[in-house]
Amino acid sequence: MPSVALIGNPNTGKTTLFNSLTNKYAYVGNWTGVTVEKKVGTLKDSAVQIVDLPGAYSLNPLTKDEAVVTTYLLHNRPDLILNITNASQLKRNLLLTIQVLERGIPAILILNMIDDLKRSGRSYNLDLLSERLGCKVLATNARGHRGIKELHDQIANYQRVTAHPLQLTYPPMLQQAIRQASEALTADFEFEPTLARWLAIQFIDQNKAIRKIARQRKLTPLLSQEKYYDAQHFADKIYDTRLAFIEKLLKDATETGQSQQPQLTSKIDKVVTNPILGLPIFAGIFFLMFKLSFDWVGTPLSDLLDWFLSVPVSNTVNHLLIQAGAIPALRSLIVNGIIAGVGGVLAFIPQIFTLFACISLLEDSGYMARAALVTDRLMQMIGLNGKSFIPLIIGFGCNVTGIMAARTIEQPKERLVTTLIMPFMSCSARLPIYSLVVAAFFPHHQALIVFSIYFLGVVVALLVAKLYQVLFHVKDRSVFIVELPEYHLPRLDIIWHGTWDKGKGFIKKAGTIIFAGTVLIWLLSSFGPHGFVTDSTASYAASLGHALVPMFKPIGIVQWQAISALFTGVLAKEVITSSMMVMFHTSSKAVLIAALGQFMSPVAAYAMLAFVLLYIPCFATLATIKEETGSYKWVFFSVVSSFIIAYITAFILFQVGSLIF
Amino acid sequence: MKLLVNLLIIAAIIGLAVWVIIRTFKKVKTGGKCAACDYDCELKQLKNRQTRQHLTL
Repeated sequence: MPSVALIGNPNTGKTTLFNSLTNKYAYVGNWTGVTVEKKVGTLKDSAVQIVDLPGAYSLNPLTKDEAVVTTYLLHNRPDLILNITNASQLKRNLLLTIQVLERGIPAILILNMIDDLKRSGRSYNLDLLSERLGCKVLATNARGHRGIKELHDQIANYQRVTAHPLQLTYPPMLQQAIRQASEALTADFEFEPTLARWLAIQFIDQNKAIRKIARQRKLTPLLSQEKYYDAQHFADKIYDTRLAFIEKLLKDATETGQSQQPQLTSKIDKVVTNPILGLPIFAGIFFLMFKLSFDWVGTPLSDLLDWFLSVPVSNTVNHLLIQAGAIPALRSLIVNGIIAGVGGVLAFIPQIFTLFACISLLEDSGYMARAALVTDRLMQMIGLNGKSFIPLIIGFGCNVTGIMAARTIEQPKERLVTTLIMPFMSCSARLPIYSLVVAAFFPHHQALIVFSIYFLGVVVALLVAKLYQVLFHVKDRSVFIVELPEYHLPRLDIIWHGTWDKGKGFIKKAGTIIFAGTVLIWLLSSFGPHGFVTDSTASYAASLGHALVPMFKPIGIVQWQAISALFTGVLAKEVITSSMMVMFHTSSKAVLIAALGQFMSPVAAYAMLAFVLLYIPCFATLATIKEETGSYKWVFFSVVSSFIIAYITAFILFQVGSLIF
Repeated sequence: MKLLVNLLIIAAIIGLAVWVIIRTFKKVKTGGKCAACDYDCELKQLKNRQTRQHLTL
């Protein structure tokens, strides 16, 4: 199957282009580091395979995801490369273009986001660019679907695109070194001349991945000259030559016109990235998100859904089961178990989807990249940088994907710290239990309380990160480069796709692990030492909960139902809510809210929220920690440390809170 | 007879739940990533597609 690779700097719109060209939707983020591995799709109405590679500034890998691009080019020979560039940032983007074109694979240079360039009053002579670079050049605007059809046709007829390896005029000594090395590689190792020349240039340019391969494959023509190349500072000369070529090219190809729009982006950025105003604006935007999700839109819709599930659905099913002759145990399992538990979690869909829609809107507008920038200073204070911010924000959706996104951090210890603090980021699976508790105890300040819990998670994460920095002797720092895209009016289809992509897992979980956890807790709360019980206080779940009351009493949790429910959270955090519904034998959120209010004080409820936020991660997160760190030691460390931190935090909150309130 | 059918349905539901839990744990063990989510997410698709290729230099 013919393949086409998308290669380019981060945040040049590769994934948006990928989505336009293929029949599938991939997660699009208007910020760096969204694609941490390659994505594969098929060109619409064609059998051509499209591979979307993570963004890279250079083929000399600095990060794990940049290494994906170099490794891909070493291991694969795509039939065509689409080099996606941000037309407004061509000077920097072309540094990668040169390295790609030197590889000698047929390529098309895409000047994406061309509308932004036009708005700034500039344009490029595409014919001149094409002539000097030796490849076809196309202008597109992937967001507006402009130029996509022409690009589609070019890809479908990829055989017509011919390869013209770019040969820059390097200084004579360097040129001679490249020639000698590539000739020796061709003669001794039977490399094809273009690949040999590319390997020689990359080796001389101190490409770590290529040097590693050269050692593994014992490429003596390169290894024998390594010290000479470095002593002559050939890598610097390569960079200078490329830069001079780009500057001359852009000078000749630039055509200036009339600026159509003042720099709106710069004006907004003066405010939102302001060193003093930046953080309060960031906090304000997030608070607004919670107001929308919990006070204005999410909760009213959730109440309607809860009524529908707990009254008509629950009653009808119960009635039908009685008519069909179902015994009490079966009716209890279906109505008080499955409908109450799974339905109890599904009732929180409006809050979750509203929150995800807000996050998708922020991503698509271009604000998230600014958020990473404004938090960079704060992150620097605790020894991390803005690069950790992006995985942490992704962790608000799901800790598993957040940990995987931490691959973009190049320093291993910094990556480890980010991975270990990830479970403190409040993932969406915790939202149902938050919604339930705030509705029961803080009905007039729901958004504020949830916002404060998220904030608490961030504060604990940062403090723990600082502690780990000291414990693990972290000295090396990652390089943090963030692209600030132009602000865009968010597109409805992108927001919808983003919301659905983030939220669909929640619905699927309801049918699988939440269902299974609910049945499990129904069993534990419906059976006791004397068999099936109608009074759950005589059940196994009650016995377990009662036994652990002394342990949880200092943090304010004295109900056996809540203690037993916390255990099921290790399966998935949503199961805590469904377990509560089952153990309180109700399918109505309103009834459970009333019941909770009788047993617990608001201070104890807040301490419980803090405990749920910080205690042991779900097992999918633990498995990912094992996968990414390669060691059970860190899984064990995460379980023990998070439990201790959660207990101490909840203890302080409850004890101090009880004194004050 | 009615009781038997009732008990069979209860056993089937519990059996299904146990099977879901076992399957989810197994997936996690084999590096299935977001196995708890149990949906065909982007990351899982990537993971499945990743083939270990040897250097073809």
